[in-house]
Amino acid sequence: MHYEDMQADSAFGFDGNWKDFARIAVPNLLLTIVTLGIYRFWATTRERQYLWSHTRFVDERLEWTGTGKELFIGFVLVLLLFAIPVFGIQFVSQALVMRGYEAAGVALGLLPLFAIFYLTGLARFRALRYRLSRTRWRGIRGGSNNQGLGYGISYMWKTFVGYLALGLLIPWSMTSLWNERWSKMSFGPYEFNAHADSGNIFARFLLFYLSPIIFVVGGVIAAATGALAGYGLGGEDGAGIGALASFFILAIFFYFGLGVIAVAFYAKFYREAVGSTHWEDLHFSFEASTMDWIKLLIGDVLIVMFTLGLGFIFLSYRHWKFMIENLEANGDILLDDLTQSTTKTAKHGEGLLDAFDIGAF
Amino acid sequence: MENSFRTPAQWYDGQNAIRHEGEALWDGSGTLSLRGFSSELTLPFADLQFGEHRGGELVYRRTSEPDFRLILPEDLPPGLAAKLPEKKVYGGWIDKVGLGKATAAFAAVSVAAVALFLTAPDWLGPRVPQSWERNLGDAMVGDFGNRLCSTPEGDAALAKLLDAVDPDEQQVRAGVANIGMVNAVALPGGQVLLFDGLVQDAETPEELAGVLGHEVGHVRERHVMTALLRQFGLSILLSGANSGVGDTVFGLASMGYSRDAEREADEFARERLEESNVSPLGAARFFERIGGDSEAEENSLVGWVASHPAPRERAQAFRKAAEGKTFAPVLTAQEFEALKSMCEDDPDVEEFDFFF
Repeated sequence: MHYEDMQADSAFGFDGNWKDFARIAVPNLLLTIVTLGIYRFWATTRERQYLWSHTRFVDERLEWTGTGKELFIGFVLVLLLFAIPVFGIQFVSQALVMRGYEAAGVALGLLPLFAIFYLTGLARFRALRYRLSRTRWRGIRGGSNNQGLGYGISYMWKTFVGYLALGLLIPWSMTSLWNERWSKMSFGPYEFNAHADSGNIFARFLLFYLSPIIFVVGGVIAAATGALAGYGLGGEDGAGIGALASFFILAIFFYFGLGVIAVAFYAKFYREAVGSTHWEDLHFSFEASTMDWIKLLIGDVLIVMFTLGLGFIFLSYRHWKFMIENLEANGDILLDDLTQSTTKTAKHGEGLLDAFDIGAF
Repeated sequence: MENSFRTPAQWYDGQNAIRHEGEALWDGSGTLSLRGFSSELTLPFADLQFGEHRGGELVYRRTSEPDFRLILPEDLPPGLAAKLPEKKVYGGWIDKVGLGKATAAFAAVSVAAVALFLTAPDWLGPRVPQSWERNLGDAMVGDFGNRLCSTPEGDAALAKLLDAVDPDEQQVRAGVANIGMVNAVALPGGQVLLFDGLVQDAETPEELAGVLGHEVGHVRERHVMTALLRQFGLSILLSGANSGVGDTVFGLASMGYSRDAEREADEFARERLEESNVSPLGAARFFERIGGDSEAEENSLVGWVASHPAPRERAQAFRKAAEGKTFAPVLTAQEFEALKSMCEDDPDVEEFDFFF
């Protein structure tokens, strides 16, 4: 019997370095520019090959087997099946408005918005499925037999319900969608399952939810105080300056403070979501604290700023490294039973996700 | 060069996750033998595909067994390395021609494609059959139904005006739109609209003849199709940036013509006016009025003026065309009056409310 002892240092490791990555990312950028963006599908693939192959799970590296061609086909499919029909619908809806059927025209014009809402959920599901099905570990891959069509519907109504009750059900919709998505995925013969509980992140969400109100109330008081202080110092002109200064400070605080609190919620959500995801006898955890996320994001901003934007090519590297270094797994894997996945694989890549520009995880 | 050797190897059979470790042996033939405690295999070289190069190791796959993986150290003896499939870096033929040449080739093709794309409206526009444009225009804007002002006397006056500037067998469709702006547009499909604001602003019928002739010129010189194609190309480039229903056809209609196109349309108008013995001084007067004095700053005029050549210059060209000639009036006073009161007298004309 082949067992893997999961008590080892860390189940996941990353041994890439940014100089090697630059040798991939810089030519990628060059080729992407001279091909008017078309090379980016192959560029993405090369990046992933690098990132995956420098990622260790237990005692073997991951492997990315996706191809640029299939990403390109995915993109072309989205263009044919979605973008062109939407263009046509716009044309017809404008023509309807021109002829005086305003209501019909507007209704028809809204149709693509609904379609985009549905397809966003579908795209998320299918991107995860695609990435699992193109990932090999010890020659074994993951995937899903589910097409994600039902998930698209779930995404619509759960997101809608999430916002319905003044947004208070957003944590529920997030965890519930995570659970639904991951529970339909598998790796090798085993399915993932996830039981993220929105109750565990609700306190953090309330902090995020209520803070604008606290900020505004506090801000009005602070501004009034500032104005009063200014009035004491310099009469009416002083009051104006005092109020203005208070509002200025408040605005900065509002953006940064809210940003930080949003990150705090997201960090908590991620810990909860990953921490309640299982794969057979293995359970995962995610260690990144709010501070880690803030450091990551500030680092991103600084890198992009100090390289006049060119540094954006390193962001995928940083994010992947961040994910892997904070990801942990515990439990046993019985290698004899870890047989090849029998899930169907799509022949095309994550075109939808690419089109809507959203992340898979 | 050696023609046989052994090297450490690892492999996965693609059926389960068990790692097999042992040696890869080559005896100079077309096959590679893998010997390990848990597995023995013989692979034809032809069945191997290059997978990837990762941290000191080379990974190969099998065509016949896509998830099979053979992992060899990167410092292979040259004899074996020559037998194994070549490494791929950028994929496809970029590896064959080299990054520099591939980049140059891509850049050349891209520049050509961009040039073709940018100039396409200019050479493609005039080649699109008029009937296609008419169908396209009908699909886009329809016939405006009751939004155009119509009285029997006004229609007759407009037809007379149109006859003067559009002698073609199949005339463009002209109408007076119930909009207060001082403007006129040529729409896809050979439709020309004078806005009621412009009709009210006109002091003589010759002014209207000049503007109408100018718009007819846009249609006849195929500027509308060219501009339409340009707009279409732009919307592809901006893909979806302007997706609102609000960007109606007037966005298309008011799209800029080039200055050359404006001059061509002016020239067309002058030629037609001359043929019909209509004074170009009306048009000159109109341009002087919109460009010559402070009223030009009025908002309603800016739209018309902005994309056009300097009004003063245009007025001069029209004035010059009139030198040493005498003309007949294009409309009688009653006809001009009928045109002016057309929108007021039309009992069931509708508003163009959705544009503004």
